[in-house]
Amino acid sequence: MSLLGLESEQDEHGDVRGWMPVTPFTASPDGMPRLATVAMLVDALGGMRSITASDPDWAFTADMSIHLLPAGPTDLLQADLHVRRRGRRTLVIEAELLADGQRPAGSALLTFAVVPRPEHLVNITINMTPGRRKMNPNSEHEKLESNYFDELELLVTSPGLTSIALRPVVCNTVGALHGAIHASLIDEASASLGRSAFGTDAITTDLHLAYLELGRVGPLTATATAIGDPANGRLAASVDVRDGNGELVSTATTEVVAL
Amino acid sequence: MSGFGNPTEIGVAQYLLMMIEEIGDGTAVLPHTRGHFPGTPNTLDDNGRLGTDLLTCIIDSIGGMTSGLASLPNWIVTTNLMVRRAPDALIGESGTGPLVLDTQVLRRGRSSVVTRVDVHDLEGVAVASSWMSCAILTPENGPPPFNRPVKPFEREVPDNPIFSAPPHEFFNLSAGEQPGVAHLAIEQRLRNPWGILHGGSSAVVLDAAARSLVLGRSTVDATPEAIVTDLAVHYLSPGRVGPILAVATSAGHRGPDHLVRVEVRDQGADHRLMALAMSTVRRLD
Repeated sequence: MSLLGLESEQDEHGDVRGWMPVTPFTASPDGMPRLATVAMLVDALGGMRSITASDPDWAFTADMSIHLLPAGPTDLLQADLHVRRRGRRTLVIEAELLADGQRPAGSALLTFAVVPRPEHLVNITINMTPGRRKMNPNSEHEKLESNYFDELELLVTSPGLTSIALRPVVCNTVGALHGAIHASLIDEASASLGRSAFGTDAITTDLHLAYLELGRVGPLTATATAIGDPANGRLAASVDVRDGNGELVSTATTEVVAL
Repeated sequence: MSGFGNPTEIGVAQYLLMMIEEIGDGTAVLPHTRGHFPGTPNTLDDNGRLGTDLLTCIIDSIGGMTSGLASLPNWIVTTNLMVRRAPDALIGESGTGPLVLDTQVLRRGRSSVVTRVDVHDLEGVAVASSWMSCAILTPENGPPPFNRPVKPFEREVPDNPIFSAPPHEFFNLSAGEQPGVAHLAIEQRLRNPWGILHGGSSAVVLDAAARSLVLGRSTVDATPEAIVTDLAVHYLSPGRVGPILAVATSAGHRGPDHLVRVEVRDQGADHRLMALAMSTVRRLD
């Protein structure tokens, strides 16, 4: 997260706005941010929004949908998040995406499971005061200087097949694969399948992702399988992510578009 | 939740006539079922293809039932459902006619279930892939009475011509005054066994609103020139009173694919937001 330079701002009602700079290391060939990085932005902001929305309980991401629109080359992606439902056990948050503060860039819908606040988080102190700030203080002195997937050490084994070792840098606070890194595995598994099918550049534009288990055993692998055949420059895929024991830890469907 | 009605008398199921069988001996922790959708002529378009509205209905039906089997002695309500259609089965003869729905529970947690549904035609051609999440609840009068493994059974169809009508008539839809708006008036046949609007009914009205918006005309009829290719719907609260109002707004487009946001509200219940969806509508003309 720190390498992506995410920033956030929360208003007095708890609603959250965030930003992510788009660089050559995080952009698709069309100049838009890769879906994987958008997943990191909305997951991080959604997690932030969920803190006040679920209080006194806690919430963790259960699923995530993202749709990207062709907003053209982008310098800064903005996301505005709003709570659409706070139930006893679920929280639904919607994110509107804007390119450079003005062009529609897509949307996201996230479901959070609401659970009793874990013991180790009962006394946690989180800075929720209004104001724009870096989401990770390390962003002040760290900067992405190579391709995002190279930095993650995400490997494409063959078209439709990606893997990643479970290192601290790709883990969440409980030592499992970070939710947005699931999306990275899925994005690149889908895009690589698309590139192979189309024989040209391809980008993952849509994602419906369900988290099933914590990925605590590495390496984790994503396998993308086409849903039917590609047509009209579109490929749909079903993608499963498994841990090092072969257990299914997340599943998704995606759409890939030829460029 | 109130008690479960007779599962053989669910109006939407009597309309769609899908037969469901459980694979295995009924003891699996993560149940596996298969649905056989016959595709009666009134439910299919002129090419013999099922629209995404009714496709979502049958996915919700079998996915919900299979998730419920994993939750016994409790039962479930659908919280969200994602559908993605195969791009090569949107036009022409591919992916038409009767359908098979292979349904597998992927995870059964303490409070939720995630289930995948893959849809094929009788030739094995992929039509769609879907997953859905359900919340586990304790029904007041117990779960529906299923014998395991679940065996296919014939449903008795009421002697009423509405059960052989096209979808917009069966689901009591009417077009709004402007494109992107559709109404649904609740009838008993559209309720689920708990007396609330069947999740598939919400999907039907929001699908109609989305297609209408993209075509720029007020209609709830079949639209050969537009189809929903992907759908993410979140069920936020039950529909109890009606009429139900679906309002679609455009988020933008990528060539022929239009990203549409749809809100579904129960007008008789203080316009409460029932469902929120993002869908992609492809123009085929």
